[in-house]
This record gives sequence, C-alpha cells and structure tokens, in this order.
Amino acid sequence: MIKLRGISKSFGRQQVLNHIDLTVTKGEVVVILGPSGSGKTTLLRCVNYLEKPSSGEIAIGDFSVNCKHARKKEIHQLRQKTAMVFQQYNLFRHKTALENVMEGLLVVKKLPKEDARKRSIALLEKVGLGSKLDAYPSQLSGGQQQRVGIARALAMEPEVILFDEPTSALDPELVGEVLAVIRKIAKEGITMIVVTHEMSFARDVANHVVFMDGGLIVEEGTPVEVFNHPREERTKQFLKRITPELNYSI
Amino acid sequence: MKLDPSFIWTAFLQLLSVIPTTLYITIVSVLVGFLIGTCVALIRIYKVPVLYPVAAGYVTFIRGTPMLTHLLLIYFGLPMIIDGLAVHYGWSFRAASIPMIGFAYISFSITAGAYMSEVVRSGLLAVDKGQLEAAHAVGMTTPQALRRIVCPQALAASLPNLSNSVIGMLHGSTLAFTVSVVDINAKAQIVASTNWKFFEAYLAAALIFWGLTVLIERAAALIEKRINLYNRGGVA
Amino acid sequence: MGEPFDFSYVWSFLPKLLSTLSTTLLIVVSSLLAGIIVGFIVALPRLYKVPVLRTLSEIYISFFRGTPILIQLFLFYYGLPEILKLVQVDVTRAPVLVFVILTYGLHTGAYMSEMIRASVTAVDKGQVEAAYAAGMTGYQAFTRIVLPQALAIAVPVFSNLVIALLKDTSLAFTLGVMEMTGKAQTLGAVTQHFIETYIALALIYLVISFSIEKLLGMAEHRLLRHEDRNSPVKKTFGIHRNRSYRRIIAEMESGKGGVGL
Repeated sequence: MIKLRGISKSFGRQQVLNHIDLTVTKGEVVVILGPSGSGKTTLLRCVNYLEKPSSGEIAIGDFSVNCKHARKKEIHQLRQKTAMVFQQYNLFRHKTALENVMEGLLVVKKLPKEDARKRSIALLEKVGLGSKLDAYPSQLSGGQQQRVGIARALAMEPEVILFDEPTSALDPELVGEVLAVIRKIAKEGITMIVVTHEMSFARDVANHVVFMDGGLIVEEGTPVEVFNHPREERTKQFLKRITPELNYSI
Repeated sequence: MKLDPSFIWTAFLQLLSVIPTTLYITIVSVLVGFLIGTCVALIRIYKVPVLYPVAAGYVTFIRGTPMLTHLLLIYFGLPMIIDGLAVHYGWSFRAASIPMIGFAYISFSITAGAYMSEVVRSGLLAVDKGQLEAAHAVGMTTPQALRRIVCPQALAASLPNLSNSVIGMLHGSTLAFTVSVVDINAKAQIVASTNWKFFEAYLAAALIFWGLTVLIERAAALIEKRINLYNRGGVA
Repeated sequence: MGEPFDFSYVWSFLPKLLSTLSTTLLIVVSSLLAGIIVGFIVALPRLYKVPVLRTLSEIYISFFRGTPILIQLFLFYYGLPEILKLVQVDVTRAPVLVFVILTYGLHTGAYMSEMIRASVTAVDKGQVEAAYAAGMTGYQAFTRIVLPQALAIAVPVFSNLVIALLKDTSLAFTLGVMEMTGKAQTLGAVTQHFIETYIALALIYLVISFSIEKLLGMAEHRLLRHEDRNSPVKKTFGIHRNRSYRRIIAEMESGKGGVGL
C-alpha cells in the first residue's frame, strides 16, 4: 500500500502541489488525469524523489519517508521500491535493450550476471522484444523503446511502477503496442500510478481515477464515477474538452 | 634578483604603446581570414569541382601544422617566389621592400582562413534545411533567402566559434616576434632584458592579453545575447 | 635568402628532424596526462557548484585561456623560480623541460576542464533521472551512465585539444628546448636551406596530426556505436535531436576554436 500525505511542492514562489493526499492499495491501477500544468507529473516525480517535495510524507508498505528531512539513504531505499517509465523513455543510450534491463539488476540488486541476463530476456520477451535484445535505443522505434522502458521497470520488481505519460511522445500508430503491454501487466496485479491523456485506456484499465487541477486533487473515484458522473464543474469541463466522443457514448 | 611589483606597472605602461601593433595583426588576419574562410567554406559546401580538393587540402594542411611553421614558410618562401618571378618578368619590385609586418599579415591571414572556413562551414550547416525551403516557399530568391534567413542564423550559431577564433588569432599574434615585429610579446622581451626583470615584464604582458581576451569574450556574449533573442528557451 | 631551393634536402632533413620527435612527443604526452588530471580537478567544483572553489576554477580557466601560451611559457620559466624562492625552494637548476611540461600541462588543463564540464552537461538529463529511478546511487549513475556517454561526446574536442597541444609544443624552442621546431631552426641556420627544413617540419607535424585525428576518430566511432545514425527505423522527435544539438554546443563551448599556434 502506498500512502502520500500532505505532499506539497513549490518552484520558487509558485505552488505546484498543495497538500496532496493519495492512497493506492496493492494491485490497484491509479490513473491521474488533469490539464497540463495541473501538477500531475510533478506528483508522480515526487513519489520517487526525482522532485524533492517541500513537505509531506511518502509511505510504501512499512517504509515511510518524511520529506522535510529525508536522508540520502531513505531516498535511495524509496527509489528501490518504485520504478519509473518516462515520457521520453530515457533508455540508457550507450546500452543495448538487454543491457538496459540488466543494468539495475546488476548494479542495484547485485544479481549475478547470468541470473540478471535470464530474467531480463524473459521480461523483454514478455513485452514482445525477444528479437531485439542487442539493439541499441537509437535502432528502436519509439514504441519499442518504451516497451524496453517498461521491461526495465518490471525488472526491479518494485512495489509500484510510475508511468509518466508513457505514450505522449509516440507517433499515433505506436501508441497501441505500448498500451497493450501496460494493460497486460496491469492484469497481473502490479500496482501502478499512471499519468496519461489516453481516456479510453483510463476507463478500461484503471481501478481508481484521480482528477487534478491547480495542484489539488479535485475529484477521485472509480472510472465510472469520474467519467460518467463527474461531480465537479472543473472535471466536467476537462472531460468535455479532451473527450468529445464521451458525449456520444453516454 | 627580487620581485619588484612596481616594475609591473612600469612595464605595463611601456607595453601600452605596442598594443595597436598586436591589434592590427589580429584584425587584419581575422578579416582577411574571414573572406578566405567564406570562399573556402562555400567551395566545400557546394563541392565545386577542381577547387574542392584544393580547398580541402589547404584546410587540412593549415590545421595540421603549427602556425609558426606557416609564418616561417611564408617568411623564407615568399621572397624566393617573388624574386624569382620578378627576375623572370623583369619587374623592379623586390621582396626586400615588403615590410616585416607584411609577412605576419599574409601568413596569419592564411592561417586564419583555414580556421575561419571551418567556423563558417559549421555555422552554415547548423541552419536547418527547412529554413531555406520555407524562405523559397514564401517566394524569396536564393540570394534573398541566404541574406535574410540563413546568414543571420548561421552567424548566431557560429558566434562562440568566431570569438574563439579571434582570441586564437590574438594569442597567435605573439609569434610575430620571429619576424622581428615588435608586438606586445616582443616588447615585453625587450623591456625584460633591458631591465633584467623578466617575470614582471611578462606578467604585465599576460595581464594585457588577459584583459583583451575578456573584452572579446564579453563583446561576443553581448552580441550573442542580442542576435539570439529568437532562440530563447532553447534546448541548451 | 639562403641557398637556392633544392627539394632533395626535404628528404634528407626528415630523419634529422625525426631524431627529436621523441622530445616533442614526451612534452605532448606528459602535459596531456597532467592536463587531464588538472582538468578533472578544475572541472569538479564547477560541475558540483562548490562555492569559492568554483570561482577559483573560473579564474584559473579564464587566465589560461585568456593569455597566449608563449607568454605563459616565459611567465612560468622566469616567474616560478622567483616565487618558489620566496618559500625557500630553489628550482633554478631544474631542467627547462620541467617548466615546459608544467606550463603546457596547466594550459591544456584549462581547456580539458571546459571539455569535461561541457561533455558531462551535454548528457541528457533524463539519463540521470532514469538511473536514479532505477535505484542507483549518485556515484553509480555518474560512473555507469553519465561518464561513458560524456566520454563519447568529448572525443572530438579531445582530439582537437591534443592536436592543438602538439602544435603548441613548437614554441618550446623559445626556452631552448631542442624539440622538432628548435632542431629545424638550427638545421636551417647551419645549412642555409630554410624552406626545405620548414617543409620537412610541416610534413612531420601534418602526419602526426592526421594520425591523431584518425586514431581518435576511430575511438569515437567505437564509443558512439550505440548512436546508429543511419538507422532505418523512423526516429521520433525529442531526445535524439536534442542530443546532437547538445553535442554541437559542447564542442563549441570548449573547443580551442581550432586555433592552435
């Protein structure tokens, strides 16, 4: 279980996150929606400390970090319990697909090379890239790179995988393959927090939908609640703008 | 021999009188070098037949050898060629009438030309091909497009390199002492040996060069800021 | 001026000049090593934004990039013994070569530090984030992810710096070191075949520069094997283009502007 309590973050004078509370139970898929600048990516990045929250508490299972005075070791532990899939993939450019997945296993988990290799190959096969083990990121399409990114995140066996707009940088025809992989692993009961603009994906896969705006959680609930019966005006406005097709389907 | 701080000032004052010489050499070599460099860069970009390998060879040779050897080759070689031709065609002109600083001008310009060609070339290549196409698309002719669209962007892109090259030529001008031109470096040598205060004299010379370099850097940064307004919020 | 031109002298001078090649290379290699060490020491405070030390680094770089190497040579040759005398160390008997290597080392160190800094900052920020996100420590992220990529970015600049250093060593003769240029001057004076000696001299420099460029070009190619530039797969926008742009910037910021003396 992941608990965020009172997470705040400001860049200079601008308050980007304002006392965010969020609870994610094990095996749950949480989708965070919101207009750009609403703070959803910042929130996600706070969960594994790529952004340092100004205050608040992050708890994963029994382990918790008070953000006001987090120690280096705690941050390091927190990061080992989480994994991130980036919008721009951020595959290590000088390493092959296989080496990208193995890297964390070798360096962080200190697995023997042969074990790391076997596990990585299995994961790459799972995301449908068994034939691209020795390709460098520059030789892969965006969709393939992102699937390696997902395999790399899975390899660490984290408590939660954070997806930061995993399909936003992709050409439209490549979005499907990445979403299919995410769907597949969601079904396996891996806890995920996903920031995305893919509404139909959110409806299908999410157990819990969070709508953010202006650094606050405006509304949250099941996909049916948030998509079909939004209570807040801001949520309605946003859904209307981003998914005109919803108006027809209801 | 004791350190004499006050002599640094004395030397500094004596060196001031030769700053123009250093600046002349720098400015002439940079300007002529820029002209040569632009021609060479265009020849290389457009792969002009016959001239292309000549240009490439010129750049490779100059960049692969010390500036000092260029100066020495010009200093000893040019008079031989000129006098040879003069005798052959019965001119009255003789190489001996070329002033010493002339050799520095000629040689350093040739050196600068090769480096400048690389600066110009990388500047032009840095401009996105789409820019030229867009200019054509709004109906500009190629010269118009080059003048109004490509060159300003190329200049902006190559400004850091340009300022580095100017500084390089400023520092390179110290070699002029080998052909008995009295620039800052040579003057420092004279001041040092007549007073037997080497350290102080060279310290003064170093300070002058440092000041000039910082000045060039500041100026380049200022210009860059102005012409790069359009580029704000870029990747770097 | 001198004897009439005779090209055959060029060939006969080549071996004579080559006999001093070892001195030239000794200066290049020793100052290069010194320069790399100095470069790292000077670059770190700027990369990690250490107060005070960072300013010192900046002044150091500004001075060594802001004054001609020729002036620096004289300055150290004449100045260092006097300064050391103040603290009761006598170096007046130290061989000239020591001063020469020290000066070239400090000089090239300033450029090296700029190269290191620019290459490290040129590595995409997302790479470090991904390393952190995978649970690596700062040290692991630097040595395993940033450094290998920065190395590849640095090679072209490094290659230019080595060649610039090689060319700069032609000034060591001013302090009486018998390296190739010094040898050429004596040869010219003795035989009165100046042009032939300098042609031979230029040829040797040219061949060495060319070899350095080719060798390091091969190294770069190997280090950049992950950057498949002719990949048939369509590249999406973003990282890749940023990176090449960043590389250009890295080269611009830290290069010697190509001009070695």
